[in-house]
Order: sequence, then structure tokens, then C-alpha cells
Amino acid sequence: MQWWCFAQQEPWTWTWRPLLGVWVGLVLLVLAYRRLVRRASADPESRKTTRWRRAAFATGVFLLWASLDWPLGPLGASYFASVHMSQFLAVGLAAPALLLLALPPAAFDGLLTRPRTLAVLEEVTSPLSAFFIFNIVMTVTHWPGVVDSLMPTQLGSFMLDLAWFGGGLIFWWPVIAPVPRRPAFPPLGKIAYLALNAFLIRPPFAMMVFSQHPIYSIYELAPPPGGDALGDQQFAGAIMKIGSAWILFVGVVVVFKQWVRSERDAEARGA
Amino acid sequence: MSGDRGARVRIRRSRAIGVVMLVGICVAACGVPADGGRRGELRGWVIDTPVPKPDLTLTDTNGEAFDLRVETEGYLTLVFFGYTYCPDVCPVHMANLGAVFGDLIPEVRDRIKVVFVSTDPERDTPERLRSWLDNFNRSFVGLRGSLEDINAALSTILLPGVAVIPGEHDSEPLIGHPSAILAFGPDGTARVRYPFGVRQSDWAHDLPLLVEGF
Repeated sequence: MQWWCFAQQEPWTWTWRPLLGVWVGLVLLVLAYRRLVRRASADPESRKTTRWRRAAFATGVFLLWASLDWPLGPLGASYFASVHMSQFLAVGLAAPALLLLALPPAAFDGLLTRPRTLAVLEEVTSPLSAFFIFNIVMTVTHWPGVVDSLMPTQLGSFMLDLAWFGGGLIFWWPVIAPVPRRPAFPPLGKIAYLALNAFLIRPPFAMMVFSQHPIYSIYELAPPPGGDALGDQQFAGAIMKIGSAWILFVGVVVVFKQWVRSERDAEARGA
Repeated sequence: MSGDRGARVRIRRSRAIGVVMLVGICVAACGVPADGGRRGELRGWVIDTPVPKPDLTLTDTNGEAFDLRVETEGYLTLVFFGYTYCPDVCPVHMANLGAVFGDLIPEVRDRIKVVFVSTDPERDTPERLRSWLDNFNRSFVGLRGSLEDINAALSTILLPGVAVIPGEHDSEPLIGHPSAILAFGPDGTARVRYPFGVRQSDWAHDLPLLVEGF
């Protein structure tokens, strides 16, 4: 029984191979969420929006499962850079946002009683730090030497996925999480933060799209069904750029709508 | 008051870390030469004892006799022994070579011949061999012949012979064959070989040098 997907130089087979680590990780995630929700259920504000939060959680968990388990997990680890990049969008961008949105506000309250954790969160999830941490994680985890060294082992591949997920959580934290409070990061700042990341040209994207030859040996030397390694890599670059821009654009729209609603509410209260 | 100062120090520290990180990304992105820093060296494996092109006459995919020495005289000749049913090494090797071959400038490409010798002549019919090679490049030459002749040629160029490994549970047999491509220079001698794992950037780097008789 394999516990995590990794790059194997074997021809692809359609034999179902569940990845134990993915299932265990997701079960733990579900248990942790249930516990947090149960604790937060005393708060009336948290209870109000339970249904859509649960939907966000279910979607986030589904995205993690679909992109990490068989068949997308092994296909992305061994054969296609484009599948690998789709996994990144799910694990490193979409799922972290959905899982943070799924948490009721009261679930963050526990952090207020932990000054040390709060201090670390203030540093790490400040918009500037989060911006750099996310972009550095993204650049390093797509660097050819790093991918080619880590992907051939289960531990290395797991570390890459974990780095994506952690980087994604840090990236979305200042936009979504209510703790620590950041009065200096208004909705317009959040929109600018997301838009800047959508338009930013990162080195891995440039390498994937403009390189004359395949940059990842794993995909270049992949047995069938791996094929046109350069075309697949360019497609992966396009997925990275266009896919991440779309996810961030959705984030911009949500922030903007929330901003408009809160302004209306404030006006209504004033009237 | 001290809280404000602490916050300002933290912001300054965050900004400094940010700038250092940004510079790091730029240096990392720009600092690696495209050829991996080995300009001027061949990336293939140099053969300790250079070997002459084998005296081998087989049949090409048109059914005509193909004398390897005569037909490839004066060309850089890349010779690979493999089979079309190969699940991994052969299609990957040929795909990478084919991808680079198509991008070479005509002055270089016209001085190279790629010869694929089938180690599975029973299943590799001329039609199948031709259609398989056309996936990579239509100019690649496909040859068939008896395994006796092929093994004799392999022994003269110091490569292991062909081994037929029966398939498990009624599956097709696997054919053991050398995984390296031999590069015979225009002078008819091979001094370099390219094992499985050689990359497109390596071919693009080496082929122009090999054509010049590196």
C-alpha cells in the first residue's frame, strides 16, 4: 500500500491504487473541523452561516482528495506537468481559501487567548510577509532542481504538497481570517493584494512557457502516456497563470461584494 | 509608545526580509546558465575505447537492403537498438531526440542520420516500424534483420546482446536491449554514447558539436 504519490518511471496502468496518506490526512482534517465547529456553535454569529461554511469545507476537502489521490495524484507526480500544475491550483490556492472560509468566526477566538501564537500569526500573516512567503514557496516548489529531487520519493512529494497547502493558508489568511485584526488592511488593500498576485509574473511561469526545452526531467523522461514534454510544460505554465488569475479574481469579487454589503449595512445602521 | 516602536521595528524587519527574498528570487531566476554551465563539453558519456561502425547490412522499412557503413558514410550517425513495443526507454529516447532533431538548423540536421535497429523483428513489421518512427521524425531510418546479425553487430561495438524476457500471465514478452544511443562521428568511430536519461537540452547542446567531429 502506497501512502503518497511520487514520481515513478513506470508505464501508467489504470489499476486503482488508493493513497493511504491522503485518506488519513483528510479524515484528520474532517475530525478537526467537526471539533472546531462544535466548539464554535455557542456563538450565534457562527451558527447563522453554517450551511454555506459546510459547503465550502466539503468543496475544499473534495478538491484536496481529487487532486492528491489516484488517478490525478500519480498522473501529476509522474507523467504530466499540466496535471501537476492543476494540483497546485487546487492544493495551494483553492482549497486553503475554501477551508479558511469554512471556519466559523468563533473558531478563531481561541487564538486571542494565546499571545505567542497571535504574535507569530501577526508576523507571518501580515500582508507583506504573506505575499513574500507565498511567492517564495511557489517559486521554490516549482524550481526544476527542487521538483526533480523531491518528487521521486513519497516524503519529498508529500513535503511539496504540504508546502503548497501551508503557503496557500498563509497567503489567504490576511484576506479571510478575522484574527489578528488588521484595521490597516481594508477591502481595497485586500483587492490590491489579490490583484497584484494575479498579475505577477513569477520565474517558474516564465521558465515553463519560454524555455526551449523541457525543464523538469521527471516529465521529460516519463514513460507513456507522457508525450510531448515541452507542449505539456507550456500548457502547465498557462494553467498556472490563467488558473491562478481566475481563482484570485473570484477572491477579488468576493471581497468587493462583502465590502459593498458592509458599507450598505453601515449606512442602514446610520439611518 | 514602546508598543508603537516595536510595531515599527517589526514592519521594518518584515520589509527588509521581503526585499532580501525578492532579490533572492531574481538572482535564482537569472543566475543559471541555459546549458547548465558546461559549455564546450559534451554531455554524453565518452567511451573509453572508441568503436568503429559495425559492418551491418539489414533491411529498411521500404524492404531495401541498407548497408550501415555505406549509407551513413560521412554523417554523424546516431544508432539505437530497441523495439516499438518497448514500454518506456525507446519511446522516451526517440521522442526527445525527435523533438530536438526537428528544431536543429538545416546545416546541422542534414549532416545527421538517426538509425533505429529493431531488436524485435518478429513483431516490428516494416509498416509498424515506419509508422512508429514517423511519430518522432519521418527521416529516422528503421532497420530490421535477424537477431543473429544484430547480436553480432552489438558484440563488435561492445554492447550487450538482445535478451527476450517472457511476459507474465500471457502478456507480451519484454525485450532486453542496450538503452544507450551510440553516436558515430563523420569518421565512422563512436566516441560518445547517450544512456537513458539524456535530455533534450543535452542533445541540443551536443549534436552541433558532434557534427563538427568533436
